Amino acid sequence: MRGRVPLARRALFQDRRRAALAAGGVAAALLLVLLLQGIFDGAMRQATAYLRASPADVIVSQRDVRTMHMSVSALDPATDDAVRAVDGVAWAEGLRYTTTFLVGAGDRQQLSYVIGYDTATGRGGPRRLSAGRPPGPGEILVERIAADRLGLRLGDRVGVFGGTFRVSGLFHGGTTIANSAAFIRTEDFAAGTPSAYVLVGARPGVPAGDLARRVAAAVPGDTVQTTGRFAREEAALVRDMSADLMRIMSTIGLLIALAVIALTLFTLTLAKLREHAVVKALGGRTRRLAAVVLAEAAWSVALAVAVATAAAVVLGAVVGRVNPAVAVAVTPAGVVRVGLSALAVGAVGAIVPLRRVVAVDPASAFRRAS
Amino acid sequence: MNPRSVRAHPRRVPLARRNLTADRRRLAAGVTGVGLAVMLILLLDGMWAGIRQQATLYSERSGADLFVLQPGVRDLTAGAGSLPLPTVDQVRADPGVAWAAPVRTAYVILQLHGRKVPAYVVGSVPGQRGGPWSSASGRPPRSDDEITVGTVLARRHGIGVGDRLELLGRSFRVVGLSDSNGFMLSYVFVTHDALDGLAGSPGRTSFVLAGAADAGGATARLRAQGLDTLGRHQVSVNNLRFATGILGSPVRLMVAVGLAAGTMIIALTAYTAVVERRREYGIVKAMGGTGRFLVGLAVAQTLTLAALGLGAGWLLFVAGRGVIDASRPQFAIVLTAGAAGRAVAAALGMALLAAVVPARRLAALEPAAAYRSAA
Repeated sequence: MRGRVPLARRALFQDRRRAALAAGGVAAALLLVLLLQGIFDGAMRQATAYLRASPADVIVSQRDVRTMHMSVSALDPATDDAVRAVDGVAWAEGLRYTTTFLVGAGDRQQLSYVIGYDTATGRGGPRRLSAGRPPGPGEILVERIAADRLGLRLGDRVGVFGGTFRVSGLFHGGTTIANSAAFIRTEDFAAGTPSAYVLVGARPGVPAGDLARRVAAAVPGDTVQTTGRFAREEAALVRDMSADLMRIMSTIGLLIALAVIALTLFTLTLAKLREHAVVKALGGRTRRLAAVVLAEAAWSVALAVAVATAAAVVLGAVVGRVNPAVAVAVTPAGVVRVGLSALAVGAVGAIVPLRRVVAVDPASAFRRAS
Repeated sequence: MNPRSVRAHPRRVPLARRNLTADRRRLAAGVTGVGLAVMLILLLDGMWAGIRQQATLYSERSGADLFVLQPGVRDLTAGAGSLPLPTVDQVRADPGVAWAAPVRTAYVILQLHGRKVPAYVVGSVPGQRGGPWSSASGRPPRSDDEITVGTVLARRHGIGVGDRLELLGRSFRVVGLSDSNGFMLSYVFVTHDALDGLAGSPGRTSFVLAGAADAGGATARLRAQGLDTLGRHQVSVNNLRFATGILGSPVRLMVAVGLAAGTMIIALTAYTAVVERRREYGIVKAMGGTGRFLVGLAVAQTLTLAALGLGAGWLLFVAGRGVIDASRPQFAIVLTAGAAGRAVAAALGMALLAAVVPARRLAALEPAAAYRSAA
C-alpha cells in the first residue's frame, strides 16, 4: 500500500488553477534566471564564432592582449616573419584589425570590428559566404544581420573609415548585441597599419600547444595562445563581465521562487492538515508525511523548471526574430544549473510546512472540520 | 430579507481585508513575493537610469561644446574613430574656436585578480582638456608612464595612488583616482602619447574636443571644411542611443518577466484566499451579494496585496541597492521619480491582471456552496 497513493501529486494538482498559478509564479522567477543566462551564453557563442571557425592553431597578439573583443592590439612589423621562421609553422598570416562604424543607408550605423585579411588564402576571412564573393579592392564582406540592420544588399556601398566600400559578399555569424564583424583586404587598411594579430597554422603532427611554446620563444615580447585558449579567453571576457549581473538577477529570481514555493507549500499543508492527520492515525510515520511535503516541493520545482525552460525557448525564438543580434542560448547545462538551484530553494521553502506536518496531532483526524 | 440591505451589509464588513489577513504567514509570503518582483522592477529601472546617466558622462563633463569626429562616427562610447592628429590644428584655426584638444580612446581588458575587467582608456594631452574631470585624490597623468583610474575600479581591486598597473604590457604608476566611472566599466586616463604607443599608431587621434562661444557658427564652418562636427547635445544623444540600443532588449525582457512573476504571485495569494473561504463567499451570494460585489472583493484583495507588495518592494529595493552599492559599485542604480511612478503603475497593473482568476472563481460560485461542509 505504502507508496502507491501519490499523495503529494494529488494534493498539488487537486486544484488545477492554483497549481497553474503556483507553477507559473515559480516558472516566471526561474525564467528570469534562465533568460539572462541564455543571453550571456548566446553572447559567448557569438563572441567566439570567428575563432571557432578559424583554421589557425595558434594566435599571436600584443603583449597582455588575450582577446579580440573590446581590445586593441598592435604587433611589431617584423612579427609575421619571425613567426614564419619557427620550426613547425606551416603558415602565418597577419590580420589588420580595428573597431569602427559601418554606415549604411539613411545614416544607419553598426559598430563593427573590421578585419583585414589575405583574400588569396582566405584563412583570416569568414569560413563560408552566404552570398557573393571575397572582397576585391575597395570591397567589403558584411555579416548578414548587420547588413539587414544597415539596409545593405550585395553591390551596395557602405561607409567605412570615412570612405565607402562596395559590399561584395555576405556571411553569417559574429553579430552580437553590441557589434558585428566585417572583412576587407589587408591592402585596404591604411598603409603602414601594423598587424594586430598573427594567425599561425601548424605543420601536420605538430600539436598546437607545442607550436605555441615554440612561437612564444621566438616572439617573447608578444602574447601567444592556442586558438582554443584564445576562444576560452573570449568566453571568459563575456563571463566575467556578466558574472556580477547574473549573480544579482539569479539571487532575486531564486528569492522570488522561494517566496512562491513557500507560499504554495504552506497553503497546501494547512489545507491538508486533516488528511495528514488521517495518514498519521492510520500508522503513517512522520517521515512519510515529510516525504509528501518534500515531494510537493519537488513537483512544484520540476513543473516550474519545465514551464520556464519551454518559455525561455519560445521567448528566445521570439527575441531572435525581433532582434536577431540577441541570441538566447538555452543549454541543457544551464537548465540543470537552474533546476538544482530551484530544488535547493524548494527544500528551504518546505521547512515551515514540514514543521507543521511533524507537529500534526493524529487525533485531529477524528474531529469535525470547522 | 431584503437583498438590498444584504448587499449593503457586507460593505461595512471589510471582507477582503479580513480574508487576506486571516492567515498572516501566507500574507507575509505573498507580500514578500510581490515585493521581490517590485524590487526587481525598481532595480532594473534604476540600472537603466544609471546606464543612461553614465552613457553621457564623458560628453557632458569634458567641457567641450563641439566634437570633431571621424566621418561616419556619431558617438564616443564605442571607442571607435580615428583622425589624423593635424586635424586639431585645423580646428584651432577656426576664428570661433576658443580651444581644441585631441583625445584618443580605446577599450582594453585588464586582468585583475584573475578576472577580466573592461576599461575605457582615455588619452589626453597633459595640460589640455579631455582628461579626468573629477579628481577624488592625486592628479591627472603628466608623463607617459602615469595613469589615473576610476574610483570604482580602484576600490574593487585595491588600487591606490602610488601603485603600479599593467596596461597592454606596459607598467603605469597610478597618480590619481577620479570619480569617473561608467556602467560596468571604468574610465582610466593616460597621456595621448602613451596611448599612441600602446596602439602602435602615432599621429592619430580618436576625436577632437573644442570650445566655442558660438557653437552653431563654428560647427557650420568646420563642416564646410569637411570636418565631421557635432554639438555636445547631439553627441550625448548619440551616446545614449548607442548604449540603450545594446542593453534595451534584455532589460525590457527582464522587466516583463518581473511583471509576470509579480502578477502570478498576487493572483496565487488572492486565489488561495478566495478558495479557502468559498463557503463564506457562498453565504454572501446566498444572502443576495451580486456577482459585481464579489468581483469587487477579488479586486480589493489583489489591490491590497499589490499595495502591501509595493511597500515591501520599496524597502527591499532600498536594502538591495545598499548591498549592491557596497559590493558591486560598477552598477550605478539611480532612482528617479519616473521609476517610482512606473513601479506604482506596475503594481496596479499586476493587481488588476491578477484579479481575473479569483474574480472568475467568485463569479462562478454557487450560493449552495454555503450549505456544503468545508472540504
